[in-house]
Amino acid sequence: MSEASNPPPSSSPTAQPDAAAERASLDRKTRKAFQVLLLQRGRNPGVKGWEMRRYLGKDYKKIVEVLSEDLKPLGLEVHLVPGAEGTDDSTRFLLRFRDPPTLTEAETAGFRIDDLAVLAATIALVNSKQGRISRKELESFLKGKFPRWRIDYSVDRYIKRGYLDLDDKELVRIGWRTRAEIDERSLMTLILAQGTQSNTSAK
Amino acid sequence: MTAASVEDSGRDKKLEDVLRLIELCRMVQSSSVNPFEVDIREKLLILKKHLPDWDLIDVMLKDSEAIQQLVQIVKLQSQWITHRASALYIDPLLLELKIQLISKEELAESFAKCWHPIAQLDQLTPRGLEKAFVYWRDLIPFNERFKDGFGNQGQKAGLIGLDELESLSIFTKEEFEARLNTINKELVDRSNGKEIDYRDFIKGKDPEETALRGYLIAFVVTEGRATIRTDPLTEQIFISRMLGKPSDETKSVAIVVR
Repeated sequence: MSEASNPPPSSSPTAQPDAAAERASLDRKTRKAFQVLLLQRGRNPGVKGWEMRRYLGKDYKKIVEVLSEDLKPLGLEVHLVPGAEGTDDSTRFLLRFRDPPTLTEAETAGFRIDDLAVLAATIALVNSKQGRISRKELESFLKGKFPRWRIDYSVDRYIKRGYLDLDDKELVRIGWRTRAEIDERSLMTLILAQGTQSNTSAK
Repeated sequence: MTAASVEDSGRDKKLEDVLRLIELCRMVQSSSVNPFEVDIREKLLILKKHLPDWDLIDVMLKDSEAIQQLVQIVKLQSQWITHRASALYIDPLLLELKIQLISKEELAESFAKCWHPIAQLDQLTPRGLEKAFVYWRDLIPFNERFKDGFGNQGQKAGLIGLDELESLSIFTKEEFEARLNTINKELVDRSNGKEIDYRDFIKGKDPEETALRGYLIAFVVTEGRATIRTDPLTEQIFISRMLGKPSDETKSVAIVVR
């Protein structure tokens, strides 16, 4: 085999510029991915898979992984929400907090404890009822715990913000924002564990 | 009863079965009722039994609608099984009980612990800037904005004196004095030495008369013939006839007349 047909050894002088160029390209694409994810383009936050491919090329998933690692020190992560079609193109990519905020921080952001409690109860109830519940049924359940005006106000607000979804049959379902921001499984477990924890600590 | 009418009533009952089935399926779809409450096999057998009796196209369409509704129920049953097999399934009754038992703070705390808010930046786009410019350019000045809807409501509030009222021919001096005496006499009669509600007293047949009575009574009070007291707790305003000389604590107050 001739010397020209062999690949250059990794320590050769030509390999270093290649690696540097590759590194620079990755850095550039990671920066681009961050900008794309940070700036809101449409009505809802996040970027669909096909858009990411268009901005970053076919290796966009690897770039997203690198970005997610880079964002760790800032307390952020890239989160993937599967789309309705279940394809890579329909998957939505979002930047979100890696660690949950404290209750005080949530209050500072304009969420009252009562509002959060309504949302927590609603998400848990909808999930326990196979992902759908009629608005009337939901309101009648919440009435036992919250004042009527707060229920109306909170449910409407959360529908508007995408945490809940109301269809034409007046059925309340889980909205896209809940899928993106909330670990539903943990929520159900935590709610069920709440009483047990306080009982245990009381003992 | 003739054989034809018996046949008709039988057919009506069968049609009623189909309509009831459609209604049942719709009800299950629009609530969180367990879709397995619908016995698909039994309903299909009913439809199969009735099918040879249908001869009208409208009834046949109802039959196919019933089949379509049953298909939706089967779809729901499939989703129900998938959900029940998932980790998100918890007995609804248990969860409802739990939510009722724990405090709002505990609910909010559970939520906050599994909440990862989305980080994003809202920015002004050239399109948004253009929309804002067009809105600002086409915005009618504030003093002209509500003219059509509210007439002269946009007029600045001000004072109107007796001289001006006389010049506008609303009052003559004699008429004004006569009206003041009349309203003072009415106050003496109605109060009978006690305090009465100010708003009840000035209330007239219409807003104009109420405003006029409020205006006149202000003069009666200024002349020291009556006194006004506001209850600080209820903010209710009382008026009574002034007995004796006014004290040094007199002051001018503005009362809104509606």
